[in-house]
Amino acid sequence: MANGLGRKSVKRKQVDEEHETFEQDLGPNGTLEMLSDEENEGDVSSDDGQLDEFPEIVNESDSDESDEEEEEDGEEEDGGDEEYESDGAESDDSLHVFPKSKTVISDITKQPKVVYPEIEPEYDSDSSTEDAPNRVGNVPMHWYDDLPHIGYSIDGQKILRPARGDELDKFLATVDDSSAWTSAFDKNAQADKPLTAEELDIIRRLYAGENPDADYDPYEPTTEWFTGKGKEEVMPLSGALQPKRRWVPSKWEKQKVMKIVRAIRQGRILPSKPKSTSKFEPYAIWSERPSDYPPPLPAPKPRLPTNAESYNPPEEYLPTEEERKTWEAQDPEDRERDFLPEKYSSLRLVPAYDQFVKERFNRQLDLYLAPRVQRVKLNIDPESLIPKLPSPSSLKPFPNYKSLQLHHPDSRVRCISVSPDGSWVVSGDEDGNVSLWEIIVGREIKRWKFKGKIGALAWCPRTDISYFAVGIEDTIQFIIPPHIDNSVLSLTQNVLAPSTLPPAPASPSPVKWTTPPSNAWSLDTPILTIDLPASSGTPTHFCWHRKGDYLSSVCTGGVHGGVWIHQMTRRHSQAPFKKIKGSVQTVLFHPLKPHFFVATQQYVRIYNLSEQKLIKTLIPGIKWISSMDIHPSGDHLIVGGYDRKLCWFDLELSEKPYKVLRYHSRAIRSLQFHPTYPLFASSSDDGSIQIFHSRVYNDLLTDPLIVPLKILRGHHVVDGLGVLQIRWCNKHPWLVSASADSSVAVWCS
Amino acid sequence: MASTSTANASNGNDDTISQPVVFMTETQYPLPSQKFMIPTSWRRYQLSQLINKALSLEKPVPFDFLVRGELLHTTLSEWCKENGVGEEETLEIEYIESVMPPQKMSDFPHEDWVSAISCQVPGYFLTASYDGQIRAFDYSKYLCASVTAHAAPITSLCVLLPEESTNVMDTTTDSTNTSYTIATASQDLTAQLTQLTLGTPPSLSTSKVLATLHLHTSTVSSVSADASSKHLLTASWDGLIGLWDTFVPSEDEVPEPTLNERDRKKRRKLDSENDKQRPRKKAPLKVLKSHTGRVSKAIFAPTPLERTTNTKSGKAYSCGFDSTVRVWDLDHGVCEHTIVKAFLNMTVIPQTPTSILALSTDRTMSLYDVRSPTSTFGSLSSSAVATFVHPATPSCVVASEVNAHQLVSGAYDGVVRVWDVRSTKGAISSFKSWEGKKKIMSMDWKKGVVGVGGEGGLEVWRVGEERA
Repeated sequence: MANGLGRKSVKRKQVDEEHETFEQDLGPNGTLEMLSDEENEGDVSSDDGQLDEFPEIVNESDSDESDEEEEEDGEEEDGGDEEYESDGAESDDSLHVFPKSKTVISDITKQPKVVYPEIEPEYDSDSSTEDAPNRVGNVPMHWYDDLPHIGYSIDGQKILRPARGDELDKFLATVDDSSAWTSAFDKNAQADKPLTAEELDIIRRLYAGENPDADYDPYEPTTEWFTGKGKEEVMPLSGALQPKRRWVPSKWEKQKVMKIVRAIRQGRILPSKPKSTSKFEPYAIWSERPSDYPPPLPAPKPRLPTNAESYNPPEEYLPTEEERKTWEAQDPEDRERDFLPEKYSSLRLVPAYDQFVKERFNRQLDLYLAPRVQRVKLNIDPESLIPKLPSPSSLKPFPNYKSLQLHHPDSRVRCISVSPDGSWVVSGDEDGNVSLWEIIVGREIKRWKFKGKIGALAWCPRTDISYFAVGIEDTIQFIIPPHIDNSVLSLTQNVLAPSTLPPAPASPSPVKWTTPPSNAWSLDTPILTIDLPASSGTPTHFCWHRKGDYLSSVCTGGVHGGVWIHQMTRRHSQAPFKKIKGSVQTVLFHPLKPHFFVATQQYVRIYNLSEQKLIKTLIPGIKWISSMDIHPSGDHLIVGGYDRKLCWFDLELSEKPYKVLRYHSRAIRSLQFHPTYPLFASSSDDGSIQIFHSRVYNDLLTDPLIVPLKILRGHHVVDGLGVLQIRWCNKHPWLVSASADSSVAVWCS
Repeated sequence: MASTSTANASNGNDDTISQPVVFMTETQYPLPSQKFMIPTSWRRYQLSQLINKALSLEKPVPFDFLVRGELLHTTLSEWCKENGVGEEETLEIEYIESVMPPQKMSDFPHEDWVSAISCQVPGYFLTASYDGQIRAFDYSKYLCASVTAHAAPITSLCVLLPEESTNVMDTTTDSTNTSYTIATASQDLTAQLTQLTLGTPPSLSTSKVLATLHLHTSTVSSVSADASSKHLLTASWDGLIGLWDTFVPSEDEVPEPTLNERDRKKRRKLDSENDKQRPRKKAPLKVLKSHTGRVSKAIFAPTPLERTTNTKSGKAYSCGFDSTVRVWDLDHGVCEHTIVKAFLNMTVIPQTPTSILALSTDRTMSLYDVRSPTSTFGSLSSSAVATFVHPATPSCVVASEVNAHQLVSGAYDGVVRVWDVRSTKGAISSFKSWEGKKKIMSMDWKKGVVGVGGEGGLEVWRVGEERA
């Protein structure tokens, strides 16, 4: 670099000198060029910027030649000087308004310098003193043709027209004066003036057909700007062919790229290396503010003090005695201001403010609690989020009050059943009492007493006969209610205890059907008893098939999952399942199809009884299913669980619930669809019964409409048990509920 | 206007606001129809005093005041403020005789629920109970007779008046003993005619079952007689209504069920009974079929007096659990009108035989006028003329025999309410039987005495009936 830099400075000097030479060459010809002399000097001393570009194009090979050139230039310079001096000697000094400069080698610095001649304070050195007597300016002189004067002097005096002789005088004058023929009429002076030598020279040149300018030299020596030795063009102006390397891809570049590519392939370079390092880097959280938030709110300012806060307030600000008393009587948060204005004659008498700390603390609290971020409020009408449901009053009738309540002797009423004609109810309690009562009066008509607790009751859905099944420990008893018509009674007896027993099934069943002899029949004893296999426990759930021929029972224990299907006409029981996973909670017959629903603790399985295969498994997502019921249309199922959930299934849609209702605060015990009205109800251990409107549409597109209608309260919760079973009255929107508080209630619309 | 001025003078001039009022009444104490300026601070008492003074009644008669179908309980000004009536509007105030606060007279405890009660027999209360017994009490609370009429609970009872039923045989009217024929309906599917003879010494009371009425295949829910006691109507849960006469045949009208072996037991039981004493089985004159559900009550339309000579009254009303009230033409046995609502019980206001009061499980008592849509046969407009709302299920209603506007209703909350049909917003008065803890099942109202039968037996209250 040192070498290059030195070279640069050398080159610069060389160029400067060249420039200087050029200036000096032009110097004698044009006066206007004189100003550039000063520039020239400046170039020498300070002007670097313009020439900095040059080293880029320096050819290294030129270095030797430049030295020689320098020497040559030096010689040329000398020559130039001489030429100049000779020119100066030839030129007329009077033609030059400005003094001529001279370039000499300074004695001190040994550098060329420009020297100007000393200004001589002569008379003609100032053009203002020239003798121009007529001062009218450049106006047409024929204005003065008729006047005696020809203009005005500088003092305003009229300059009189010089006397002019006639033609003869002129002629005589030319004869006398030899210079007369070289004089011309000066309009300004209105007199003849002799032409100067320069003017005469111009005239002569014009005559000779030469350039009128005397200084013009048509044979100037050629100045070699871009040619000659050392001034060859370095710009690519040659017609040489492009070198191959200009258009062939670079081999070395390729090598370098390939090196990187190989490194990437080998994994030495990770192209998208994760920027974050495992080490936590502290950063200033306040240095950048999130751009999309409005600036934080300024902190609230304390109120400026007023006259009242002054230590020496005007009299009208001082509180009166009553005001003081009321102020003191008020709670601090009710006071309009938290101080009482007091008057002190001077500031030094003011005591220390005793609540200063408290006030500051409160202010800090204000600051602390002041919202610093402006939150954009969601402007949503809360009403619009509530689903549009019809009002319950438009969905009448539904049960909305307790019409009557009757009490069993002290024990929980576990099960109830409403007769298919909707006029009688049987209810069974844990003491073994089964009572029959009118649904509308609530008067117990008959009571049966059994040993063991009653687990389930179900009235046969056939309307032409009348009996109900009672589930007690290991047995199912069939009872005919009193006061029924003779024809109905005989038909019922014929069904339950036919005179000719149907042929016994081929395979012996562990279930025994026994009927007492006909002379022992009475209203108090069951007409038919089904003995389930031993240790099968209390039947907890009965489900009649729609046609009233099949009764399915679920027991707490026993083999086959405790599920039995009893056929009344054939007096035969069969266990539909050899083995079943989990303990069966409830079972259901599909109202229209030969399908059978079995709910274990967590799943509901649908079997096709005629084809003997599993159709579907529903997953309610309930931990422990307590009850289920199917819509009369057969397309919808509701499942209730001990974990308070009620799931609505659309059987044609999915095995997941269509809707999950969590309205009960305790376990759901029982639920049922109304057979005719679009209602269903659920009862829970929280002692309440909830009534829902459930409209199911025939078209497959519309979702079922479920509207919560009413919460019926009135049963007490005893030992954590609430309403244990609910049943609808067939033909009316009436609900019968059995509760753990040993009561049964009828809810009417 | 003189009366007003005196009233004003008596009241003093301290309050100047007064309301123009026109009084009207249907009682026997009419005022001349003119406008009175009444101070708005007046209450019922002052108004009642005003009328007493204006009519210069010797014995003061308390009045109640109905303003726009509402009983006046507060001052006039408060009422006006509540209802937004301006000072210049003329109020029409109807006044009725006050019902004296009901007083409990006596209490007849029963072993079982009383399902029906009748006060028709002078001097006695007849009750039918769920234990199947008919009991008769005299006014001294003495149990005169107790007859086991049915094996199953009796649901309804009605007394055939002896003087009307002269052609009913065996109605002996001697000096000491009086015989009454009682019709009962029971859950054992039959209704029954029982002759009950109440002797002056109660030990002489005898009873005899005259006939059993066989039609129904389900619980017979009600039995009722017409004014001449010549005909009976039974309603049953099997949806049928039977029309019967009260003539006791000498032979069984219903053939013995042609028997299968199943009925041997029953037949043996029947055979065991004394054939002579055996009650005759009666068949109905007519069966009215139109109800689709259980029929809860069927009654005759009261006949105007000039028509009592006719054999049939012509019209009957029934209500049932199929949510209908039906109007029957008994001559042809067809249903004429239907009103849709679920009904438990009903009655007819005797003075206006076309007004039906029907009770519903939706806790309302509705007043219907069956004449209104006579032009269109078929379903009657179910818009009630008036609706009386109860806090519990109403079970029975009795209209006053002497006053067309008064009625009492009993409900399952044990409260008997006295209503005026002109005041629908609230009962005129009410009282609780059995401390309001037990259900009321039936009531009868005769000569100012209301017999209340229900879960707790029988209670007798005195409820004033004003004469219309």
